[in-house]
Amino acid sequence: MTIQIANQTLQLVADSAVLLDDGTLVVADLHLGKATAFQAQGLAIPEGDSQADLDRVTGLVKWHQATRLIVNGDLFHSPAGLTDEIQRLLETWLNDLQIPVQLILGNHERKLSFIPHGLNPAESTEQAGFHIVHDPKDAPDDRPTVTAHWHPVVKIADGKRTSLRLPCFLLRRQMLVLPSFGTFTGGQILDPEKGDRYFVSPGEDIVEVPSELIRG
Amino acid sequence: MPASPLQPFFKHKGWKPFPFQNEVWAAYAAGKSGLLHAPTGQGKTLAVWLGPVAEALAAKTPPSSCSILWLTPLRALAQDTLRALREPLEILAPQLQVEARTGDTSAAIRARLRKSLPFGLVTTPESLSLMLTHEDTRAKLANLKAVIVDEWHELLGSKRGVQAELCLARLRAWFPGLKIWGLSATLGNLDEAREVLLGTTHLNAVTVAADLKKEIKVETIIPKEIDRFPWSGHIGTRLAPQVLLELDKARTTLVFTNTRSQTEIWCQELLSLRPEWHDRIAMHHGSLDPAERVKVEQGLRDGSLRCVVCTSSLDLGVDFSPVDQVIQIGSPKGIARMLQRAGRSGHQPGKTSRILGVPTFAMELVEFAAVRDAAAVRHLESRRPLKKPLDVLVQHLVTCAIGEPFEPDAMRREIQSAHAFRDLTDAEWDWSLGFISSGGKALTNYPRYRKAHLVEGRYTVDDKRLILQHRLSIGTISSDTHISVRFARGQTLGTVEEGFISRLKPGSLFVFAGRKLELVRLHLKVATVRPSKGDARGNIAVWGGSKMPLSTELSHATAARLRGEGKPAPEMKAVAPILAIQKRWSELPDDRILLVEHARSRGEEHLFIYPMAGRVVHEGIGALMAFRMRTKDSITITQNDYGFSLSARRGLNLSEESIRLNLSLDHLLEDVIACLNTAELARRQFREVARVAGLILQNLPRRGGRSQREVQASSRLLFEVLERYDPGNLLLLQSEREILERQFEFSRLHSVLADISNRPIHLVETEHLTPMAFPLWADRLSATFSPGDAATRLEQMLQELNQAAK
Repeated sequence: MTIQIANQTLQLVADSAVLLDDGTLVVADLHLGKATAFQAQGLAIPEGDSQADLDRVTGLVKWHQATRLIVNGDLFHSPAGLTDEIQRLLETWLNDLQIPVQLILGNHERKLSFIPHGLNPAESTEQAGFHIVHDPKDAPDDRPTVTAHWHPVVKIADGKRTSLRLPCFLLRRQMLVLPSFGTFTGGQILDPEKGDRYFVSPGEDIVEVPSELIRG
Repeated sequence: MPASPLQPFFKHKGWKPFPFQNEVWAAYAAGKSGLLHAPTGQGKTLAVWLGPVAEALAAKTPPSSCSILWLTPLRALAQDTLRALREPLEILAPQLQVEARTGDTSAAIRARLRKSLPFGLVTTPESLSLMLTHEDTRAKLANLKAVIVDEWHELLGSKRGVQAELCLARLRAWFPGLKIWGLSATLGNLDEAREVLLGTTHLNAVTVAADLKKEIKVETIIPKEIDRFPWSGHIGTRLAPQVLLELDKARTTLVFTNTRSQTEIWCQELLSLRPEWHDRIAMHHGSLDPAERVKVEQGLRDGSLRCVVCTSSLDLGVDFSPVDQVIQIGSPKGIARMLQRAGRSGHQPGKTSRILGVPTFAMELVEFAAVRDAAAVRHLESRRPLKKPLDVLVQHLVTCAIGEPFEPDAMRREIQSAHAFRDLTDAEWDWSLGFISSGGKALTNYPRYRKAHLVEGRYTVDDKRLILQHRLSIGTISSDTHISVRFARGQTLGTVEEGFISRLKPGSLFVFAGRKLELVRLHLKVATVRPSKGDARGNIAVWGGSKMPLSTELSHATAARLRGEGKPAPEMKAVAPILAIQKRWSELPDDRILLVEHARSRGEEHLFIYPMAGRVVHEGIGALMAFRMRTKDSITITQNDYGFSLSARRGLNLSEESIRLNLSLDHLLEDVIACLNTAELARRQFREVARVAGLILQNLPRRGGRSQREVQASSRLLFEVLERYDPGNLLLLQSEREILERQFEFSRLHSVLADISNRPIHLVETEHLTPMAFPLWADRLSATFSPGDAATRLEQMLQELNQAAK
């Protein structure tokens, strides 16, 4: 689904990524190694599938024939999660992608003592007319921006007993917030602001959620 | 003569021991364990306490370390208990010390207790569990003679009860001669209660009854005009003026209600009818701030309060001062509960306890008559023990491994000596050991995890950080998420459930702790409020799970009354005109048949079905039936304690056979799981399971910070991760089992359906809504059942979503 922000356009693609006009794919918040961080603290949480999450990114890159990949922050969860195994996975993954990859630093990366090679870390960047930065609070007011960090989730209710919680894209004024990409990442329902628009990808398509279906 | 060293105390008091006290002392002196049951305020405490005291007095050398542990379910009771235990010691053995160690104990006393323990120690299951994590506990308790568990009926059937069972198993394994005594209110299954307390290895135990044939009188305020009296509802303030007249007759009155919100409503109502009593009417319920509660209790003691409106928070209490009169608003829904409450008046042995019932709608008159019948023959409810809650087991195993390394085979024997785990299977045991050591069955999924590990064949935990973490997590058993309610100036009013307060917006008005309040803001588990002058009648604070269903025993007694059994009663006379209408238009419901009414109104069809099995079971059967009918239209289900109703535009004109088919036992479990959205509910239940099992970190005080936040995840997310990557995890299954039992009383539902299959169905076509049907019809706030399973519903919603998007 193509949406327009100010005079720029971009495409929301299932599931949980954005394709810019110049062929750049943006994903965010993979939180690799999160379960491992839990285990290291004595919590018996099974290892999620970091490999599968990375494969999902590869799949998107190939499908959309992206020419560049930007990970908009929080690729890694914590120092304890940045294991040798994760680093090996990452190396293979970068090799397979065969396109330039850039990591925009997220709050979780700031705690790492080093960033693995090949990720070209940056605080923020400009790409195809968009400012790209991890934390929505660093987004400038006056130009189209792609952010992440909030892990937005929308709750859709049918007025009966059931409701659905789905990760979503949030468009607020000139700022787009990406859903979190990782499997083992939670989400939060945000305090709504006037004019907010929500998009979800329940299957292979992106749909905008009409405001009357949204429950706080 | 075991009683002789105790003589000075009784002489001082001018008392004579009751026979049951002598009986308990003799049994204790003979080395026996047991269970003592008695109504409140009958000298139970002395009966179990003085046996061990006599033993200490008779010993050649005075006890030098802790001899008796006194477990109390509520730490709020610890201070009262201390007072009661110290009183006889002042006369008999001033050298013997008793102290309390609970979550409320100050750091200074706690530090002193770490050094050495007194003769008697009052504590809670959580604190005892915590003690087991200290390596010197075994040595410090080396002189332990007895453990006494107070208010055992409160613990029985709860996870904290299982925690107590496991701690007792540990103590029994350490000290084989240990005597264990429980105190309980009277239950329908006392022998089982005793077995659970004493474990599977105990022989030669006794059950002692202190039933002093206390006479209990149940009376009811009869509404003057029964045909104007509501057929449904549950607030029932209509009789408030008559209740006020009764208050005038007594010096002190306890007004019991069934829910905390009803407490708030009644307190407001009485005050509005008699504003000049604003400092003489108070309320008391479990969500109030402890300081507020203590003030109220004091007011009752010194007589400055005339009336206290309360919930079951006042059912408990050691030497709670008796009152002149007890009033029960609405049916007590259970016989044991009614007896317990009645016991708050006429405390002295031999005096009659009187309870005055206030019906809130017509059928409750029948329930009051029935509860009197059942109480007269002491036909009481049972409290069923829990089976194998593995979250409690894994927590306890880590507790033990921290205290002293354990050998798995010996530990398994010990665990299985606890009643809850006597049927523990190899698979469950292996899983539990795996969970605390390598994470779970799917070992490869937990590469970095290690909590307990094997050293020379014994499981041990030696990581300091993990030990600290675990100690913080003990005590988290069944504490729901509560939000504290405070004024901006800082005064705390109490707590409400998160679910209630999160529905309110800043500026909303609500009533709590007897005050009209306005929500200012909700932030980090604190709701800041300010007094409001507006009318907040609409929003009374409500608490989860507060509506008790009619107990099985009382349901049967009620059905017997409807059949016309029993002595003439004023309640039955009063309700007769309504029952006559019911009989004329249909039939009276009964638990020997299944009455089904079919009716039409305003373009809708209704089925009213009366199994007489309590509202929770009816809710389950209603949803089950709607699910099994597989209609295309949505069906509205409502339920109460007598039956349930289904309403739809069409398709409810069922034959007897098809009704029976829809109520059959075939595929019951699968159907219930499918229709009740069990997966979603289990996910919610998992919050508690995960917390107890140690999958969710408790916040470390003042150490929060970043490292902590990294390992916080919602239980919902954990549930999903486990479902995906470790589906065999037994904690998932447990959540499902618990939710079925807790939310839908699945075992009761099963036995009710089994019973119904043998009852003849009386299908009646009615022209009007009958008196029994009307409340069900009127109560249409309940959920609508949409056809199809969760997946179809999901699809439907998405379709709507898609359509709306186009």
